[in-house]
Amino acid sequence: MPSFRNVSRRHVLKGTAALGALALTGKAPARAGSKPFQGVELNVSCWSAPFPKLLQTYLPEFEELTGMKVNYDTPGFLIYNQRVDLELSTKGSSFDVLNITFIYVDRWLRAGWFAPLDSFIKDENATPKDWDTDDFLPAARKIMSGKDGSLYGIPWTCDCYMAAAGRYDLVEKAGLKMPETFDDIEKVAAATNKDGVAGFLGDNRHGWNFPPYLQGFGGNVFRNPPDDLMPALDTQEAIAAADFYSHLLRDYGPNGVLSYSYDQVTAALKQGRANYATEGHIFLMPAADPDSKSAKTVRYSMFPKGPAGQFPGFATHAWGIPVGAKNKAASWEFIKWAMSKSMMMRAVTEKGYSSPSRRSVIESPEFKKRLMLNGNDVAEIYLKTIELVGKSNYMDYRIVSVFPQVDTLIGQAMERIVSKQMSAAESMKQAQSSAIANLKRAGIRL
Amino acid sequence: MQRSVPRPAVSSIDRQEQLAYLSGLLPAVLLLMVLTLAPAIYLFVVSLTPGTPTIPGSLTDFSDPTQNYVGALQDQQFLDSVWVQIKLSVSTVIAQVLLGLGVALLLHRRSRFLQALRTVFLIPMVLPPIVAALIWKILYTPDISPLHRLLAALGAPVSSLITNADTALWAIAFADTWEWFPFTMLIILAALQVVPDEPIEAAKVDGAGPLQLFWYVILPFIRPAIVVAALFRLIDSIKAFPLIYVLTSGGPGTATQVTNYYAFTQAFNYAYWGYASAIAVMLTAGVFVLSWVIGRRQGASAYGR
Repeated sequence: MPSFRNVSRRHVLKGTAALGALALTGKAPARAGSKPFQGVELNVSCWSAPFPKLLQTYLPEFEELTGMKVNYDTPGFLIYNQRVDLELSTKGSSFDVLNITFIYVDRWLRAGWFAPLDSFIKDENATPKDWDTDDFLPAARKIMSGKDGSLYGIPWTCDCYMAAAGRYDLVEKAGLKMPETFDDIEKVAAATNKDGVAGFLGDNRHGWNFPPYLQGFGGNVFRNPPDDLMPALDTQEAIAAADFYSHLLRDYGPNGVLSYSYDQVTAALKQGRANYATEGHIFLMPAADPDSKSAKTVRYSMFPKGPAGQFPGFATHAWGIPVGAKNKAASWEFIKWAMSKSMMMRAVTEKGYSSPSRRSVIESPEFKKRLMLNGNDVAEIYLKTIELVGKSNYMDYRIVSVFPQVDTLIGQAMERIVSKQMSAAESMKQAQSSAIANLKRAGIRL
Repeated sequence: MQRSVPRPAVSSIDRQEQLAYLSGLLPAVLLLMVLTLAPAIYLFVVSLTPGTPTIPGSLTDFSDPTQNYVGALQDQQFLDSVWVQIKLSVSTVIAQVLLGLGVALLLHRRSRFLQALRTVFLIPMVLPPIVAALIWKILYTPDISPLHRLLAALGAPVSSLITNADTALWAIAFADTWEWFPFTMLIILAALQVVPDEPIEAAKVDGAGPLQLFWYVILPFIRPAIVVAALFRLIDSIKAFPLIYVLTSGGPGTATQVTNYYAFTQAFNYAYWGYASAIAVMLTAGVFVLSWVIGRRQGASAYGR
């Protein structure tokens, strides 16, 4: 237990240091009124993605600026969603700012678990005009808007499904190029799967990784989302896609590929233990970091075309304010600070952040320069992918309220095939019947 | 055997004493009702609804109270999970009782060294379950596992056990046995220590060998303790969670998805609270019935009836 003497000494030291710092910078000591949030404690949580993690290093600035104390938590993706789903459903007040997870958008917004942000955005006292809400990519804003037209979340990432070959040297050695089609993936994976290098790699979120292949083969998760939610997991196209994708994982994946988390995928690419991966680009970009063994050999490309076309996945996540939050003005203060143009720009220039959601940042020369990697214009791949997503509604399957259930079922179906418990056809048929039962349980009329 | 002694008449002093006991017990009984029974009753009530927090009013919709129970019996994933549960429970209970018994017999000597060793054996059991699960996650993940590396260096690489449907459940059972055999060992060791010396010596004088001695003299003495240990482990195995959550999340596919974990995903991944409650109610009922049956058999065998 800290003694009273220790605490008071620390306070005195802190106070002296702060006074000293103010004297050095020439700033006048803050008046009581200039920090309206002095003493407020803010509980913020998001899953452990690059942006929230890098934001954490800037938190002392925010605390200094506002006088707030931020309790910041970044658990893993699955744990975050479980925890928050439960917390939101009770309309609790434990959190002041939360991430609105892409696949839970419909469910969390429709149930009225987040507060609309328009009142803060439109209030010039709360938000200066040059903060510029319209700067956030329209595709991402559209997803984070409710049926009432209000904006509920400020997107901090646009995650695009891309491809990377960590060991492009091996690809060239085999006389091949970056895959442009699914057939090319097969060739590259087969040719580079030797000498301790896995030819292909994907993480265990099959509900995220599989649909781009499924749609590339001409299938879809539901018959016609969001209007017709009849699952379509046992179609010929779905079975062919499942067969192809599971074959890549099973025959060219590393030992224990089924338990690979996205962090492990990044680590394996950086260590040069695996070559070709299709993944959300935020987990592929670190392969070009200075501490990566593949920094000199990595190449990037758009997600390849399947027989039916090119359907790279897309996800966005956003900061929102749960309805139960007690001090929403303080919550907004945090979001406004975290998502300002200057903060996002600093995330790019100082921390190498690779998936900004503001157009002004994406189009900035600094971002373009940073994403010019081994002769690859990754910024262009990024923008092209987002444009492709904006042209049609193929990502609609992902934001229907019952997708989380189907997401898990796709994961189980893939695992059954890769671990040879079932054939692709059997496994996808089982996933289909489970999906139908699940949707009925959720009150969906099929 | 029924005793036929007539019951003495209850005097008023006795009655007063009983009343005093009752009033002393009452606060504890009330507390138990509020803390244990009320949530259990609520669980049962929710299990009669299609309750999900995303649909307002669904938690109080009793129009089709049996739908979750009927649905569960037609839900292949639920039925599969029961089968996985049976495999896991039976295998871990048998392994833990046998290993616990074996180690207890070896440690049942008067020696300081063996006493110190006992403490070492208890380590897995006193670790927080999530720490034990993490230890095994590391051991079972080929990238980082010293075990996998060692085997690979020896020229016998082993593919990941937790992503192989044939081995995943047994990998979990192995880790669970490592974690919990000290419990059965401890109970059996305690029972061994109160086995009287006389019958053992008498049997030795009569020329009984070590096996006969164990089977006919020691085992009957420690059998009640073994049954109690097995019962505890059986009930606990039905509550298995941390190992499965950390090691496999129920996979690959649904190969290690036990009923408990299935109920968890239904409640916390999909928010089907009504359905998950129904599974929980069935699971609780199952545990009660099992405990009752085993308790009765145990009672019967202990008193030679």
